[in-house]
Amino acid sequence: MDSNIFQVYEDEIQSLEEEITLLAEKYEDSQQETTFFSKKELLMPIKSFQRKFRGEPEGHESSSSLIAQLGNLETNFSCLMKFTGIQFTSHSKKTVEKTRNRTVQTHKLSGNCHSLSFQLEFQLLEMQNKDNVSAVVTDLSITMESGEDSDLSKFVSSTEEHGNLLTFFRSFSSYAEWHELRRCTFLHFK
Amino acid sequence: GVLAHLEMLEVQAHEAAVKQEEMERQAEKLARLKARVQELRLRRNELRAKVDLQQNRQLGKGGIASDPAQFTTQAILERKMKSVKAMLQLFYLTGISGKLTKRGVCFCISTAYEGTYLDLYYLDLVITLEVQIHCHSIPIFIPLEQLAKKYLQTDIRRFLSVLSDHLNAYVRRRYQADQLQEHFSDQIEGTLQRNSLCNLLVFNYNVSHKGKTFPFNVRLLYGDLCRSLPTEVIVSCTPDAPKFLAETAAAHSDLFRRVALHKAFCSFSSAEERLD
Repeated sequence: MDSNIFQVYEDEIQSLEEEITLLAEKYEDSQQETTFFSKKELLMPIKSFQRKFRGEPEGHESSSSLIAQLGNLETNFSCLMKFTGIQFTSHSKKTVEKTRNRTVQTHKLSGNCHSLSFQLEFQLLEMQNKDNVSAVVTDLSITMESGEDSDLSKFVSSTEEHGNLLTFFRSFSSYAEWHELRRCTFLHFK
Repeated sequence: GVLAHLEMLEVQAHEAAVKQEEMERQAEKLARLKARVQELRLRRNELRAKVDLQQNRQLGKGGIASDPAQFTTQAILERKMKSVKAMLQLFYLTGISGKLTKRGVCFCISTAYEGTYLDLYYLDLVITLEVQIHCHSIPIFIPLEQLAKKYLQTDIRRFLSVLSDHLNAYVRRRYQADQLQEHFSDQIEGTLQRNSLCNLLVFNYNVSHKGKTFPFNVRLLYGDLCRSLPTEVIVSCTPDAPKFLAETAAAHSDLFRRVALHKAFCSFSSAEERLD
């Protein structure tokens, strides 16, 4: 039998599998849509779910462990935000490409840092290498409310130009802390 | 005679049987592959229909009832989990992320050169009456103990911030040297000498002018360990080099102080192209 015919089927199987992975991811993305994180949402979902569950007998076992897991994750998440000072308030993503080794997604993130708010949009390419995952941020767009500070706007445009997302977060959190300190100081002397 | 003939027939029969088996195996394999393709095509078409439905709903067209399965408590919980997990995974983009452990916290410090995220370092802290570093992946040439002594007990955030500055600066210096070796090896003469901290680089490179190449030597010292630009640059040419090259050496020296190493070499190549 011609080995070519096997190859044709095997190629189609691989391309179908990749297409299915991408479609599944796209479906997930649209199911999730935009997720909003608020203090209220993070601190009290557990109680409300436990109450809801009293009325739903089936699937109780697995759901209570899900609730416990969710509780841990949310505690982790809110502690991390509290510690770093970077509070994320909403997130949405769209999968553009997904193969075995390569995922490209566009993200929309908004949040605030010590009362200064920001909105980010960027594309994230993640590649599975032999022993690690590499990530590259492109098409970075940063929107900030504080328009008065010209140094800040210069910083923002240079950060956008070079896709410096990490530097943005690191510098912005110091700036926000300093800004907050200055605001409190001025208030104190009023 | 007869025996030999019988033997030959036996061999022929055997070969025919083997061939038959092989053909059956291949037919079976083909049937399996065909079935799998059918199965996958079906699944793919289902998913396509689902995704299209979602997109139509989002665009406001089509009033078909949504899938009731997505509103069970289980489905809601799973979606919530997925979104929190996704956020926790993305947190490394901010530079400092971590997770709570039984005895304290395990922090992750990420490093990046512009948009390219590079190494991730971790620090496992045990928090009792004091804060202790249980284990970590910080390279030995980063002054971890010094920084810990200064900040760890009083201000963990400041400790992580300063540590992150050291790590990021080191990774960025290393990245520049790597990029130089990867993309401009034709201009480098010999090997690029560097220490593990990548704060001292010495190498020779070629400068071409009107068809002739002149060897230059450069010594870059990065005196500030939290910065990825050098504090001291010495560019020199050979003693018998023509006088005008001294100006070029001075210009290069100035450039290396202000611009990342691989970007400086990029501007050399484009400048040369313009001259030729």
